[in-house]
Amino acid sequence: MKVELVTYRKGQARSVIYEYVPREEGERPMVLDVLLQAQATKVPDLSFRYGCRNRTCGICTVDINGKPRIACRARARDGDKVSAVSTLPAVRDMVSRRDGIARQLRGKLPHTLRANDLNVEAPADYHALTACIECYACLDHCPMHARNLDSGGDKRNEDGAYRWGSPFSLLKLQRIRLDPVASGLDGEKAFAAATDLGLEICRDCPGCKCGVGIDLKNKVIKPLLEAASEPTAKD
Amino acid sequence: MSMETVWLDYDVIVIGSGGAGSAAAHAASGAGASVLVVAKDPIGCSDSKIAEGIVTVRGVADDADSHEMLADNLRIAGGDLPTPEITQAFAEDSEEAYDWLRRQGVRPRIDNDRGAPRALPIPLGGHTHRRSVGHDNGGLSVGHAAWNAIVQGAGIDYLEDAWFLDIVTSVDADGRTVLGGLVYDAGKGRLLAVSAPAVVVAAGGLSTLYFPNTDTMRGNTGDSFALAMRAGAELVDMEQVQFLPFCLTSPPSYEGLLAGEPATAGFLGVIRDAGGKLILDSVMLRTRAECAAAIVKAVEDGRGTERDGCYLDLTANVKAERSGVYYRNFLETSLSSVMVTVRQALGRAAAECKEQWEIRPGAHYSMGGIRVDEFGSAVSIESRDRVKGLFAAGQAMGGVFGANRLGSTSLSEGPIFGTRAGRAAAALRGKKNEHFTSRNTDAFEIRLNHYRGLLGRSGDKAGSSLIRELQRAAWKGIGPARTRAGIEKFLRQSANFRHDAKKIAISDEGLWNQSLINYVEFVNMLDTADAIAISALQREDSLGAHIRLDGGTTSVLFEKAYSVSTYFDEEMNLKVGRLPRPPTPWQRVLTHILRDRKRKLGMKILRLLPVSLQDRILEKRYRAVMGNVELDGVKPKSVKMPQEIEREAA
Repeated sequence: MKVELVTYRKGQARSVIYEYVPREEGERPMVLDVLLQAQATKVPDLSFRYGCRNRTCGICTVDINGKPRIACRARARDGDKVSAVSTLPAVRDMVSRRDGIARQLRGKLPHTLRANDLNVEAPADYHALTACIECYACLDHCPMHARNLDSGGDKRNEDGAYRWGSPFSLLKLQRIRLDPVASGLDGEKAFAAATDLGLEICRDCPGCKCGVGIDLKNKVIKPLLEAASEPTAKD
Repeated sequence: MSMETVWLDYDVIVIGSGGAGSAAAHAASGAGASVLVVAKDPIGCSDSKIAEGIVTVRGVADDADSHEMLADNLRIAGGDLPTPEITQAFAEDSEEAYDWLRRQGVRPRIDNDRGAPRALPIPLGGHTHRRSVGHDNGGLSVGHAAWNAIVQGAGIDYLEDAWFLDIVTSVDADGRTVLGGLVYDAGKGRLLAVSAPAVVVAAGGLSTLYFPNTDTMRGNTGDSFALAMRAGAELVDMEQVQFLPFCLTSPPSYEGLLAGEPATAGFLGVIRDAGGKLILDSVMLRTRAECAAAIVKAVEDGRGTERDGCYLDLTANVKAERSGVYYRNFLETSLSSVMVTVRQALGRAAAECKEQWEIRPGAHYSMGGIRVDEFGSAVSIESRDRVKGLFAAGQAMGGVFGANRLGSTSLSEGPIFGTRAGRAAAALRGKKNEHFTSRNTDAFEIRLNHYRGLLGRSGDKAGSSLIRELQRAAWKGIGPARTRAGIEKFLRQSANFRHDAKKIAISDEGLWNQSLINYVEFVNMLDTADAIAISALQREDSLGAHIRLDGGTTSVLFEKAYSVSTYFDEEMNLKVGRLPRPPTPWQRVLTHILRDRKRKLGMKILRLLPVSLQDRILEKRYRAVMGNVELDGVKPKSVKMPQEIEREAA
């Protein structure tokens, strides 16, 4: 099986064709297995992120034939092309800069929830959103996040945070709104942050796609948009 | 090219952003300190995030559970190696630490009758009480909590993609004092010289030394231990590496991943050798160390499978029809992510427990670590007092678990000792005495020049392939099955590796210099591996997780307990010593042993009863803690198989 690895160094992209050697008869390796073997043999300084090998830590996301996939649970196929995700600025080889996403939530989450009673059951949707592993597959085809990269740029403020949001950021904010331990004020603050990150852009979007199967459209975007449509007290 | 150096000032540096690091940063900033978190992986992406998500909370399900009982459980399981002040701190703070996690968004299911989080129906092996709370989405809930605490935290700055290189100290007549640390900020391609009177080491463990035989994060390259040891701190119990008994042997992509806990075995699960012969019963009541030892010894006797494993046989649990439903419900609800892994790797029949699982031990956790007091303050080698300003928390610290760690305790350990270390570190803020006013640039420059000198170095070795060789050698020589000859052979190999490290080619790239990263991690792994090896050589009999095939077994009741300590002397030679440990009063050990014998006998009798009788007894027991479970109520978590994930229609 031959896999094309797109290396990226000092601003230059180059393809390396790597032939995978199966470790046992009939092995169907994951893309991460191919990267690991390439690093151990032909491309010793190949850069890629990985962590748990078990689809939980969320850091090994790469583009396979142009689509974001979690490398440790994506089977490799002959002729696959593996590269850094196209939705974030490349740093080296398969490594891209993730930092600008999280940083946009600085100061927008409650510092510490101070409710007296912690023994309250959270709704099912709260747990559904906690399943997010932060793989950033949801950035693909997101019109809101695309604005951060408009005209090939990488628009971040001095702190390195992106101006515009993403399904991930909205998920983090919606999770606060669903948390029974968070105060009403925390929820309002989260909603205001979602609006500021560009929630309205979601109205014209057919929906986003989660790397681990969370129903982003119905559990994150829809409730936020509905809240935005509700008349406020001022009206 | 040369790398830019940026000088920064903080009150506290925290290395690591997982369960311990996040709590340390949060506590330190809460106490008014300016904090810099340095993490090489993305924020919150630690072992806490990928764990099963089960947390120890004293008294959560059982009013009879006391601080003393929890502390005793830890110490007895740990072969009396844990220090009493530390286990006491653990027992006293577990509820507060859990509430901290909840204030960061961890939401358990609630037992409305008790008005408290719902505990797992079965005490995890070695716990005498039900005190383990599971969570939907497992460790991810804790991962979100760690992320929230750092990303949001007022007064907390953080860097990801940043490798902490060295803790900088000064030595004078008063002993050793932390001045700050050096960081390679790979994401921005620069070196940071950070002045700070306190450094909290919370950079996790060392299991990557045993890759692929591990279920933990890749980043566990022993950084915590190597950094602290090079800064003059002492390590304890480094021979005590926890190998979880039940990790997968195949297919290759799943090798080493977690397949279960002793509790997974339920009331009727047993371990069998390759020939089907029973090698351990009452598995549910055993500690992880006992199960791993049974497997390792059977394999060593030539009774293992082709892949050096044995079988976890759970089939008896589901043969009993009515109680079998409860059992499977327990697995699917309490250990859901493990069951997903098993279903993908071994197939449906195995996941339904109709087939036995081929398993072998895999590295999971380092019980040994930096020698600290109950506030996380590190003990120095020169004065046997303190390395002033050096703290450790979480897996980085030693003295909590000794020779064996009980299930669900590490996710409590992180916030318990992270909070303590963070507060203690913050107390040093503003104490910028003569050590800091001059910024002591010489001490920084010496280390900076070392790293600058590495850039653009030619050589005929690659760090990544040396790491693979080291991993193979470590698994063989200082892995779960040890002998004097094997350990000595490893130490000889290690000396060669040190020689090879000097020949690693390092590029001059500023941004994400992979060869520099590989070099730094290789050296940290070597320092840590040597500490394990020299400690393993010192302890000639088996104790807990440390199995010496060429020695006897240590008796907790009749032998004086001691911890092995390791440190670098001034010439950077690795030294080893022994620290006597106070025994748990024999009456309490005896009570524990008798109680344990009684429970095991009960379980043995249960296993030999006719299935129909077993079924009735077990159904009653499960029902008492789980309530009524619908007979068709076993719904495996719906998860797509990799085949489906691999090519979903776009």
